[in-house]
Amino acid sequence: MMKTRTGLMLIAPLALVLAGFFLVPVLMLLPTSFGEYLPGSGMTPGVWTLENYTRIVTDDYYLEVIWRTLGLGLFVTLACLVLGYPLAYLIARGPQSWRVPLILLVVFPMMLNLVVRSFGWIALLTNRGLVNNLLIDLGLISTPLKLMFNLTGLMIGLTHIYLPFMVLMLVAAIQNVPRDVESAAATLGSSRIHVFTSVTLPLSAPGILAGSILVFVLTISALVTPRMLGGPTYKVMATVIYDEYMQLLDWPSGSALSFTLTFMAIAVIWLSSRLTKRWAGMA
Amino acid sequence: MSATTEKADKPGLAVTTVALLVVVFLQIPVVVVVLAAFSTTSYLTIPPQGWTLQWFAKVLSDPTYLSAIRMSLILAFGSTAISLVLGTAAAYALFRKAIPGSEAITSFLMAPLILPAVVIGVALLQYFSMTGLRGSLFGLLMAHVIITVPYIVRSALASLSGLDLAVEEAARVLGASGFEAFRLVTLPLIAPGLVAGALFAFITSLDNVPVTIFLISASQTTLPVLIFSSVEMGVDPSVAAISTLLIVATGIILLIAERRAGFHRFV
Repeated sequence: MMKTRTGLMLIAPLALVLAGFFLVPVLMLLPTSFGEYLPGSGMTPGVWTLENYTRIVTDDYYLEVIWRTLGLGLFVTLACLVLGYPLAYLIARGPQSWRVPLILLVVFPMMLNLVVRSFGWIALLTNRGLVNNLLIDLGLISTPLKLMFNLTGLMIGLTHIYLPFMVLMLVAAIQNVPRDVESAAATLGSSRIHVFTSVTLPLSAPGILAGSILVFVLTISALVTPRMLGGPTYKVMATVIYDEYMQLLDWPSGSALSFTLTFMAIAVIWLSSRLTKRWAGMA
Repeated sequence: MSATTEKADKPGLAVTTVALLVVVFLQIPVVVVVLAAFSTTSYLTIPPQGWTLQWFAKVLSDPTYLSAIRMSLILAFGSTAISLVLGTAAAYALFRKAIPGSEAITSFLMAPLILPAVVIGVALLQYFSMTGLRGSLFGLLMAHVIITVPYIVRSALASLSGLDLAVEEAARVLGASGFEAFRLVTLPLIAPGLVAGALFAFITSLDNVPVTIFLISASQTTLPVLIFSSVEMGVDPSVAAISTLLIVATGIILLIAERRAGFHRFV
């Protein structure tokens, strides 16, 4: 057994760095969110108000941005599930020799710079981008489709960015499904689709939930891709926070929105862990 | 086993086709960026109108890009090294159950992964403005340690969990000191996992915009932040050229990691 003193000495450096550069800065943001914004100079000293928070839940503009962010999270999660499951299934159950190349082809875009990937989508989706040019050349459309600065652009870009996370979670989940249960169902006369819907899918449900939570939380927190593909006008929560800090210098509103976003992310994670525990209890 | 059971869990033609299309979808933006980097036109065109290397020459002779690349590498190497030392030490103490409440401590060490990056960014912006660290290399380095260290802690804990403590105890019995036993026995055993964790940390640092963008000074930016702001100004092939260099570098790093450490086992 290691001595407690040795253990403390090993953990203390990291704990101090995290306390000093993560915990304290985040806690110090809390008073700011109850401050009053004074245009031009920052905050009115000595004034405490709940207005930054009440505005978020009453103001139409904020509500629209929040619903858009949540809707985007939901759509992107569903898209990642639908696109990711077949690929994860192929990796987990397909030919052994395909496994490593496929995993590397999933990991490669994931490791690639986020800015670079979003830039690639700009080149594809702008009015004179590859997709529109192709559709016009094929004679399918006569005027360019609006694929950027709207929900479509953000959906495509964010789905592409977070799909690899979903695939990797699903591969692990599908591998955990015992193959003899599937074989047993098939031997007893179940069709392939029936084996999938009644055995494989329910048994990989914990992995589906874990992957969905991960993608949802990453999507509602995303700043770079929404900014690059949504432009300065089509905003989500993270880009509104960015603008409030960098352009309007309205730190009180920005910090209140930051805590709202943090609360949403943590609430989703907490709810899902409750759900997983209940499932585990039932099994 | 009958033919039906053999077939039951093999992906069919439809599933395979969809899956391969999804793989293609994942590579599309990469291919587009690389092709656009070689075009002779001053705006983005795909397929390229004629081939040229002028955009690579332009980027690699531009002092703004060169200093941004330098800054990104300093931050990535610096924060990975610091995180590797601090994170491995902390994970080792947690693994040996040296102090009570190890579960709560682990959650605290992983917390920077759960908080939205933009929130960490604005919190540090306010903190650094108050303490005078805004725009300093030290502040940036600490910010990058915060966002990279959870990957090191996670991979170190995962590698350690598969370890038999008896091996280290044997080394102690044979006369090795606690640190010698760790360095000569435990460290080599967990090295592949640490390499994978360090690679994730390095790439996370190199990739980061949402925290870094709030903390950089006007004169000193990082590569992804520079690309991010160039795109806001308007898109030209030099952005595609620098992106292509990043794509090639990422690909090479990934292949080396796979050859040397069997990287796919750690993702």
